[in-house]
Amino acid sequence: MLYRKYLKNQFLSAAQYKLNTFLTAFAQVIINIGEILAVWMLFSRFETVGEWGFYQALLMMGVIFTAFSINECFARGYDEFSKLIRTGQLDRMLIRPVNIHYQIFGSKIEFSKILRIVLGITVSIIALINLNADWNFYKVLVLIAMYASAVCVVFGLFVIGATISIYTIQKYEFLNIITDGTKEVAYYPINIYSKWLRGIFTFVIPVASFNYLPLSFIMGTGSIPQWLCAISPIFGMLFVIPCIIVFNISLKKYQGTGT
Amino acid sequence: MRSYLGIFKMQFKSELQYRAKAWSGIATQFFWGILLISLYTAFMANDQVNGFSISQMASYIWLGQAFFVMRYIYLLPSTSEEIVSGNVGYKFVRPINLYNQWFSEHLGQKVSATLLRFPLIIIISLLLPSTIGLSLPVSITAFLLFILSLIVGTLLSVAISMLAVYLVFKTLSDRGAVTLVSTISGLLGGTYIPIPLMPDFIQDIVNYLPFRYISDLPIRIYIGNVGISDALVHIGICIAWLVAIVILGKILIKATAKKAVIQGG
Repeated sequence: MLYRKYLKNQFLSAAQYKLNTFLTAFAQVIINIGEILAVWMLFSRFETVGEWGFYQALLMMGVIFTAFSINECFARGYDEFSKLIRTGQLDRMLIRPVNIHYQIFGSKIEFSKILRIVLGITVSIIALINLNADWNFYKVLVLIAMYASAVCVVFGLFVIGATISIYTIQKYEFLNIITDGTKEVAYYPINIYSKWLRGIFTFVIPVASFNYLPLSFIMGTGSIPQWLCAISPIFGMLFVIPCIIVFNISLKKYQGTGT
Repeated sequence: MRSYLGIFKMQFKSELQYRAKAWSGIATQFFWGILLISLYTAFMANDQVNGFSISQMASYIWLGQAFFVMRYIYLLPSTSEEIVSGNVGYKFVRPINLYNQWFSEHLGQKVSATLLRFPLIIIISLLLPSTIGLSLPVSITAFLLFILSLIVGTLLSVAISMLAVYLVFKTLSDRGAVTLVSTISGLLGGTYIPIPLMPDFIQDIVNYLPFRYISDLPIRIYIGNVGISDALVHIGICIAWLVAIVILGKILIKATAKKAVIQGG
């Protein structure tokens, strides 16, 4: 299988720079731990925010850390799409008889992010142990769907970023607001934010689908109908479809940057 | 002294060229400001914390965003590059002090990047309603002390960055150690969350460390959370920290430069 070869090559190249890969991974995990400590400090002063406590917020952090780092590891090609365009690598990919998405996935696999994935899962487990929810089969199902939904939404955002760089060629720094802003927002159950922030991150970027909606179902709280909370992760998964369609249409119009 | 002033000016002017970067910085800082104020308002639940009100919190956030470049610990990519690549060897042979040279470079970049960003953020946030916007300083004296402590704080921020330069020398990588310094200073200096919102036992620790003097002190003088006489004492402590950290940095970098092995050839 081709992807296995991509995986092997990228791994071998990362293994050439062991210390560098490790230091990069270490630095990134430090940043995340700093963020967790900041959230912990806030909760140790205030105890709750809205209806939520520390471990509910910690679960939200676990979800977004895991989803984000999985995408940063395996879908980095979309995140750095402008590089593929500027170096002309995209032009070469387009003439190969292999699906373009397959090649973008293979173009960059960042193994240094694995430590972050581990951190995300660890944080999730600590949160789940302390959550005091009455678990049943449906709740476990929604929990799994919540992670899948988060992975899909973040992937959708990476694809949107790639689509924009087809038109702009350059990567504009302020576009990071879309990805980094979404990440930061999702550290907490987003129904604590002001109305219009919550609106944007529910209806424009469906953060709610892997955030306070499924959390409300798992905790059995909130005023939103439980069935709606339970199916909410599906909307996040569907978010990917229009993103990919727009990307494909834009790529058809792409004429190369010339060298 | 004149040559360091020249380095400062050069770095200052070169940073002014990056206007597009400044615009995107302003947009990012603005979004972040709105987000953080919304978040802390939710935590504070329309109440004050030890005399720290919601409108003071909003001012704290906006000043922090306006002077973000100044409070954030980072290294210029050119500095870590020249250390890792070995080009720093050229700097050894010049008849100027290595520490002072790096210090002026970083200071120049910080001041110029801040000047490009802060006016617009200040103006817009002053126009917002008082619960989510920036308020005027509590008094003219407070404002003058704010400016003074901001200047000392900026110097302190550069001095701490110089300790990170030393770590790059030691590890020959611009990752890891630098991120560690930057995260510790951000977390304990009130960049991640405002210090008045931290639990009391953490505040007790933070008050004994230098990091809060970078931006927390100036901001709290501005919003009136630290009184005038306290402010003077704290600015004195800040200057003492600055002198100590500059001396430490100079000793460390001098010692490393003596033993330095230049990589490559």
